[in-house]
Amino acid sequence: MDRRDFVRGMCLGGLATFAAPLVTFARVPARGRLVFVLLRGGFDGMAALIPVGDPAYAGLRGPMAYGGGDVTALDATFGLAPGLAPLKDFWDAGELVAVHALAIPYRTRSHFDGQAVLETGLDKPTGASDGWLNRLLQVMGGDRSGIAVAAGMPRSLAGPHPVLSWSPTELGTVEEAYVERLHVLYRRDALLQDRFEAALQLQDLQKEEGMDPTMGVRAGGRNRMAPVLEATARFLRDPLGPNIAAVEFSGWDTHANQGMAGGALDRLLGQLAEALGGFKADMGGAWGDTTVVVMTEFGRTARPNGTGGTDHGTAGAGFVLGPGVAGSAVLSDWPGLGQRDLYEGRDLRPTLDTRALLKGVTSGVFDLTPAQAARIFPGSESVRPVAGLMR
Amino acid sequence: MNPALRALNHFGLGARVGEARRLDDPRAWLRAQLRPGSALLEGGGLPTLDEAGEAMRRVREAQTAADRPSVQAARRALQQIRQREGIAALTRRVATEAPFLERLVAFWSDHLCVSVAAKQPVIPLAGLYEREVIRPHVLGLFADMVLASARHPAMLYYLDNFQSIGPESAGARAQARRRGRERGLNENYARELLELHTLGVDGGYTQQDVIALAKILTGWTVQRQVRGGPGGEGYAFRPALHEPGPKTLLGRTYDQGGAKEGEAAIRDLCAHPATARFLARKLAGHFVADDPPESAVERLAGVYRESGGDLRVVSETLVDLDETWDPANRKLRTPQDWVVGVLRAVGAREVGPPVVQVLQALRHPLWAPAAPRGYGDLVREWADPDSLMNRAELARTMARRVGRGALDPARLEEVVDLPPDDPLRGFLADESIATDERVALAFGGPAFQWR
Repeated sequence: MDRRDFVRGMCLGGLATFAAPLVTFARVPARGRLVFVLLRGGFDGMAALIPVGDPAYAGLRGPMAYGGGDVTALDATFGLAPGLAPLKDFWDAGELVAVHALAIPYRTRSHFDGQAVLETGLDKPTGASDGWLNRLLQVMGGDRSGIAVAAGMPRSLAGPHPVLSWSPTELGTVEEAYVERLHVLYRRDALLQDRFEAALQLQDLQKEEGMDPTMGVRAGGRNRMAPVLEATARFLRDPLGPNIAAVEFSGWDTHANQGMAGGALDRLLGQLAEALGGFKADMGGAWGDTTVVVMTEFGRTARPNGTGGTDHGTAGAGFVLGPGVAGSAVLSDWPGLGQRDLYEGRDLRPTLDTRALLKGVTSGVFDLTPAQAARIFPGSESVRPVAGLMR
Repeated sequence: MNPALRALNHFGLGARVGEARRLDDPRAWLRAQLRPGSALLEGGGLPTLDEAGEAMRRVREAQTAADRPSVQAARRALQQIRQREGIAALTRRVATEAPFLERLVAFWSDHLCVSVAAKQPVIPLAGLYEREVIRPHVLGLFADMVLASARHPAMLYYLDNFQSIGPESAGARAQARRRGRERGLNENYARELLELHTLGVDGGYTQQDVIALAKILTGWTVQRQVRGGPGGEGYAFRPALHEPGPKTLLGRTYDQGGAKEGEAAIRDLCAHPATARFLARKLAGHFVADDPPESAVERLAGVYRESGGDLRVVSETLVDLDETWDPANRKLRTPQDWVVGVLRAVGAREVGPPVVQVLQALRHPLWAPAAPRGYGDLVREWADPDSLMNRAELARTMARRVGRGALDPARLEEVVDLPPDDPLRGFLADESIATDERVALAFGGPAFQWR
């Protein structure tokens, strides 16, 4: 008996008193896959999706301004940073929507509050502790599931709907009998039981996929994002695997020596672009109904600070990738970079609510009704999904 | 509820076999640990500021010379310093007879965290930072601890204050003339000092306060070690980099000039009622429950205010609170506490390099949080499926190493407060199960995840 049968047998069979809501994999493959990539630390949107065509840009950024020749032009105003140049392939395939002047609905320059608002999908940092991806799973019902491909459970996916988590570690081999006895113990723990059982299921999925549990991460490759997105692809492309993945990368808090082409930030952007390209290839045929959203908790100051970096700001950029987007475009009600255009005289002014973007994406990927979308983002009834984003 | 096990596990770092039965008066045992000076960890060949500065100088020189092998060797030396510090810190946690005090050290070290994951110069300094900033003040005044932190090279590097320059300072003007490049403020440390170290994010400060505090703290920097120069890579105040003129922070004007402004501002921030409340909530969140009862928060905040931020009195209050002893209030052991708890339960007295690596794999290495907020402390931040399985795997691996011979697995039921009908009791006594597997079940199962 393999472990999945064992788990099912315990929970669906004779021991009905112990039956608990297990993570349920889709019995019938469900359409729509979503990957939420959170760049923790506040990536500098103005150094990623570069407003090189804004007349005030060069003066504002001073020594940290890119010239038109350095960027991959997307339209008359915006271009991709050198490191993001590989995203041009998505653009050319009609699979990239870049958004700018995007911000959470709560004005804060705190990483922690910003991430809390973005990940809970609320309009302030206090309130429900469950994440909007978890609420999305609750709304869609039991035939879909989510996975955190991350060290720890990101708040966006945490909540009452049982979810999986995986990170590239293996700390020793375990015998079936040991795990089965542990399962007996965990069934007595109302809070931890679901989580332990989710881990058991994931081990089976990993086995089916023939995955090396460390995914070569220990070998210390140059790009630390690529193996994480490769693992994400292997879970997501399994027809009976999870439909939603939460992925996160840190290191974007560039207060000093942010650099230009080939510098600290641009190297990270390069890793991200390379990893996204690899993800698309690894998804194979499953890429057809997959959408990836890349976001961060806040943008950074419009001007460089005194140490060759940028401090915490307000609006920034985001990216939506996948065949489901309604053609490549930069979506932005661009506020401009004149002194009076800036928010509090220092930050890019927000004109697009992160919830409007996420409602647009989720509604498109999973055919949600407006009422369902409003349940995922409580208090957002007046926030309309971005129109024309998804096919 | 077994009060001895509560003291050993919830306040401390985990019971040793037989220890609970010897503990007659758990509250007195906890209070007796709060002896000022007893938290120090020094001497014994531990790295010094000179050694760390020397190691950093070698890295800089190798980088300047662009010699790859010597850069790598110099970087390895930084990691070796960190490794020695890590082994010393973990050995103290495993061996200590004052585990509550060590928990307090870890709490404040995380509260005012630095991170080796963020900046290279922090790597050889992080352990030293805990020994020089946290340990001497863990039972002293909070303001003294924050001031020591503000002046420590580890913090100055970590949150960039070492390179923040008053835009109108003489130094900034001279640099602009000489090199044609403008240097100036970096808000990073000032913001986190307000948001994470003192007032808390809801503490009522504005962006203007962040800028004012950043200006107040300009000139607080690091004296870099140079070949043949004076020892250390220590704090220095550089008047030429300090922003001139009065600054207004939270409605109060600081115009003393020089480093006195920062000292006064930090003392005022530490005495602020918002700081009392913020620290009280965080302490209660750590020592009582994820969502602590308001009564406990209010009591701690009151004691903090009345004592002028005396952390010994505040720590005693944690022992006095009924809420800390209420078995309904439980916390999940963090990976560090779980590993240390396992080692204490099996009677270990020292740790070696593998334990440092294991914490990395459990994503809770010493002094390496991903953000200045420090590590998470909530059940939902540590009890994800993957982490539980990692602990189960690691419990099995550790049990294979320690489980043969010396340890009677049946006695491991003494280290957790098990309900009478818990199936773990049966497993531990079941001699048809291999000894080392029974040991692993004690640590891999749910009971040992909680404190």
